[in-house]
Amino acid sequence: MRLLLLLVSLLLCPLIVFGQGDSVARTVAIEQVAVAGVRPMKELGVQRTELDSALLRENISSSLADALTGGSTLFIKSHGRATLSTASFRGTAPSHTQVTWNRMRVNSPMLGQVDFSTIPSYFIDEATIYHGASSVGVTGGGLGGAIALETRAPAEEGVGLRYVQGVGSFTTFDEYARVTYAGRRWSSSTRLLCSTSENDFRYRNYNTKAFDVDADGRIVGSSYPLQRNRNGAFRDLHAMQEFYASTHAGDRFSIAAWYMDSHRGLALLSADRNTDRQKKNTQDERTLRAVASWERLYGGLKAAARGGYSFTDLRYVMQADPDGGGTMIAMTDARSRLHTLFAQAEVEHTIGEKWLLTAEATIHQHRVHSGDLSVVDQTTGLRADTLYRQARFELSAFAAARWRPVERLGVAANIRWELYGRSASAPIPALFVDWLLSRRGEVTLKASAARNYRFPTLNDLYFRPGGNKNLRPEKGWTWDAGAECTLRGPGRSLHASVTAFRSHIDDWILWVGSPKTGIYTPVNLRRVESYGAETKFAASASAGRDWRLALEGHYAWTRSINRGDKFSPADESVGRQLVYIPEHSAALNARLSWRRWTLAYKWTFYSERYTMTSNDLGVLGRVKPYFMSDLSLEKSLVFRRADLSLKGCIYNLLNEEYESVLSRPMPRLHASIFIGITPKFQRR
Amino acid sequence: MFRSIRRSIRRIAVLCALLFGAGACMDYGPLDEEPIDLPQRGLFIVSEGNFTWDNASLSFYDPATGRVENEIFLRANGMKLGDVAQSMTLHRGRGYVVVNNSGAVYVVDPTNCRLMGLIEGVVSPRYIHFLDNDPTKAYLTDLYDARIAVVDTSTNRIRSRIDMNRHRSTEQMVQWGDYVFVNCWSYDDKILVVDTTTDRLVDSIRVGWQPTSLVLDRNGKIWTATDGTNGEGSALWRIDAATRRIEEYFPLPANTRPSELTLNAAGDELYFIARDVWRMSVGAAALPDEPFLPYAGTTYYGLTVDPETSEVYVADAIDYMQRGVVYRFTPAGACIDTIRVGINPGAFCFKAGASNRAGTSGDFGLSDIKVEKFGNNGSH
Repeated sequence: MRLLLLLVSLLLCPLIVFGQGDSVARTVAIEQVAVAGVRPMKELGVQRTELDSALLRENISSSLADALTGGSTLFIKSHGRATLSTASFRGTAPSHTQVTWNRMRVNSPMLGQVDFSTIPSYFIDEATIYHGASSVGVTGGGLGGAIALETRAPAEEGVGLRYVQGVGSFTTFDEYARVTYAGRRWSSSTRLLCSTSENDFRYRNYNTKAFDVDADGRIVGSSYPLQRNRNGAFRDLHAMQEFYASTHAGDRFSIAAWYMDSHRGLALLSADRNTDRQKKNTQDERTLRAVASWERLYGGLKAAARGGYSFTDLRYVMQADPDGGGTMIAMTDARSRLHTLFAQAEVEHTIGEKWLLTAEATIHQHRVHSGDLSVVDQTTGLRADTLYRQARFELSAFAAARWRPVERLGVAANIRWELYGRSASAPIPALFVDWLLSRRGEVTLKASAARNYRFPTLNDLYFRPGGNKNLRPEKGWTWDAGAECTLRGPGRSLHASVTAFRSHIDDWILWVGSPKTGIYTPVNLRRVESYGAETKFAASASAGRDWRLALEGHYAWTRSINRGDKFSPADESVGRQLVYIPEHSAALNARLSWRRWTLAYKWTFYSERYTMTSNDLGVLGRVKPYFMSDLSLEKSLVFRRADLSLKGCIYNLLNEEYESVLSRPMPRLHASIFIGITPKFQRR
Repeated sequence: MFRSIRRSIRRIAVLCALLFGAGACMDYGPLDEEPIDLPQRGLFIVSEGNFTWDNASLSFYDPATGRVENEIFLRANGMKLGDVAQSMTLHRGRGYVVVNNSGAVYVVDPTNCRLMGLIEGVVSPRYIHFLDNDPTKAYLTDLYDARIAVVDTSTNRIRSRIDMNRHRSTEQMVQWGDYVFVNCWSYDDKILVVDTTTDRLVDSIRVGWQPTSLVLDRNGKIWTATDGTNGEGSALWRIDAATRRIEEYFPLPANTRPSELTLNAAGDELYFIARDVWRMSVGAAALPDEPFLPYAGTTYYGLTVDPETSEVYVADAIDYMQRGVVYRFTPAGACIDTIRVGINPGAFCFKAGASNRAGTSGDFGLSDIKVEKFGNNGSH
């Protein structure tokens, strides 16, 4: 607690010097506010959340998982720092969240999900969340929704450089650099990020005990040990290169390539009695993603074409040394190599001011090679054949007609059709309506409904052992309806929305199996009904040129209920909330700026999450609710040749002990300091 | 305007104070401990939990009253049992609970489930076997280590390790005289033979693909069940322990993975799961025509037979993600109780009453101990 007080004092001390003034020129961040009244045709009836750029740029050590936790109603299931973090919408599974990067889908074709902890928020310029039916306009398979991630050309002309260095608790170091050039016809951006951490935070382990043992092996005393997170060290490297160019004729070209090299220790479970010298789990990943695109406007027609490639080399190794003598032997060496080719063509045609027609075709060609290289068949002495090699062609065709017959009414009809290997979906229709109820307050009513499919992943079908080639695609219906309003005044604004949703998913794919044999098999098991409500608000106010206050809040109530048939007469899961879906989740961000100072407070809340399908409330049946508070203070300094920024962040401000996932203790109060420098080159 | 901003700041401060207060309400900390008093006779039920979820648990069922106590390890000791509890064995008044993915064998007092000791130094332990001919030694198998650990039972420390000649995934053990037989399950087809006097691997018996289970009947015959693989069906095997020769081979119906071999109180009837629950005489020349309990849409996951009454206990894992149930049947197959226990109940261990110290279904003629280890009926 004394450490907490000291850190808070250090962070708040600079406030004392507020009165000294800041006479140098200053820049004031302009909050992003959607201009209502003239609603873009592409957004008719669409339920979307644009992630606040301030959250994306919170600090260089933040991942997209951190940004989504604070800036949306999505549930982020995080296993810890720099560890698997998945996102789920409206009570669905992580594999029901489709993610695109510069329009190329980046969900693993093996697992179907995205690990958001591997996406640094500083590498994303725009993140838009499409809820429920609205995801049909982005991609197929988003039974919960979709997240569209984009990079953008540098805004400022000339040469730009920004370098940020961060130092944090648990021997954490982050370095980020971005070099940009923007000319009249072309621009370039290069980003580099390196994060390393021992990640050996201390926690009181309430899941097991340390024992005092006498010479006869009898336990004579015990206590909950204060121990360090074992084997959680990580090193992540990211590099991204972008080029943008335009021609006199109106063609616009871009290419973005992003390479990641990650080496992560997977922390031992809290009740594991092995030491990190006896047992070690690591995950190494090298991923390259590249997308090139072309766009051109021909009067009322916009044409675009994109092509891309991604490669992932993923290796999970479990090593053990029972003697602790220093010789680790691989017990599991699971290796996966994935290649994906991507191509997309899109046309948009505007007819007057009332019609917008869109057609799009997207293909992904996956090739996967996956298996455990450590397994030896003792009957032959050769490596066991656990590998599967599969390729799959996926086509998604989309057409949309958006119509605004009168200024107040907008209607959109989408249809998507998908081909996965030799299977095809039935047509996926989606309908959107929005109605400007009142110009005053820009009160808009929105409603949408869609049918949707998600095809089994390659692991679902072919994983060895356990893959199930007879799986059916998941299919469902979803609808939502809501209202939003925007109030503006001099120096202030308020935007609020509320949405109710309901969806049904049949043939929900669930992996079931025996820990005893380690063999798991996916089956079409469940019929899931989810319903609830989401609400969000964003408010800002400024006073003169010095003060500015921005608030953003999100709340979701989510019921996700198993409506399937009973497994057996003893099954108590029917009618119960799905595991790891919180009924209530909320986030609040407050940002107070005064001249060049910014004080930001982030608060997140998840209600309890069940870990048994029968919703038992015992110690083993739930993860307790938690509230989390983070605080940061930033000061910008402007000099003739460079701008500097200093930022201090305190995470878990109240020094709480908590778990986000069963038996995965999280770090208590910890802090980081960031120093950024932006040299001023001569602008063109 | 400044006044309005100040007002806003005051409101935010109040809100933050409320949130801080809410944060302070978080409920996380030590687990409650409570005294547990277990009846003299009953059944320990080991629930594996889910892999990497640390939610294994131990239950105790009293057949006399039909009462079940769940999570007794957690409640008695204020700590979790760990990740994937694999098996439990009673030996000389102590219970040994092997927790596979926590790398520990917890030694508990079977009267109150309080921890008495622990065995560490094994990465992925599966089963423990106490030698009949040397009370100071126990063998401990490991899923990943191609060695069997030799445990000093007086100190709970690992004394040495026996090299298994690259055979990983050693599993259950039974003892015949000075020899311990152990099945090697994962990607293997061998029953290995260890000489307990020298702690050395001395022989191996080739059976079918992936022998999953091992018991020793009253006639000194070893039974195992194999998964089968491409072109090779699953099967039951009977091996003469004295000559180490395969005597019988019983092919099982296609698409059944046999497991959970166990014997009745007299050691003359073999039970196992192969989609249905089967029962056959150890002297039978062929599989029975009808199962003891036909498949009924449930996930038969664990099986044991009361060494005193020959009542049959069958575990149902349901969807593997909720508390499973154990059904109790009379030897005639009538269900007489349903017991709700922990997640994935997979192993059992009988605690015999003082009045029946010789009741056992394993290692006939070799053991005078009173308990049965699930699926192993082996030495104690």
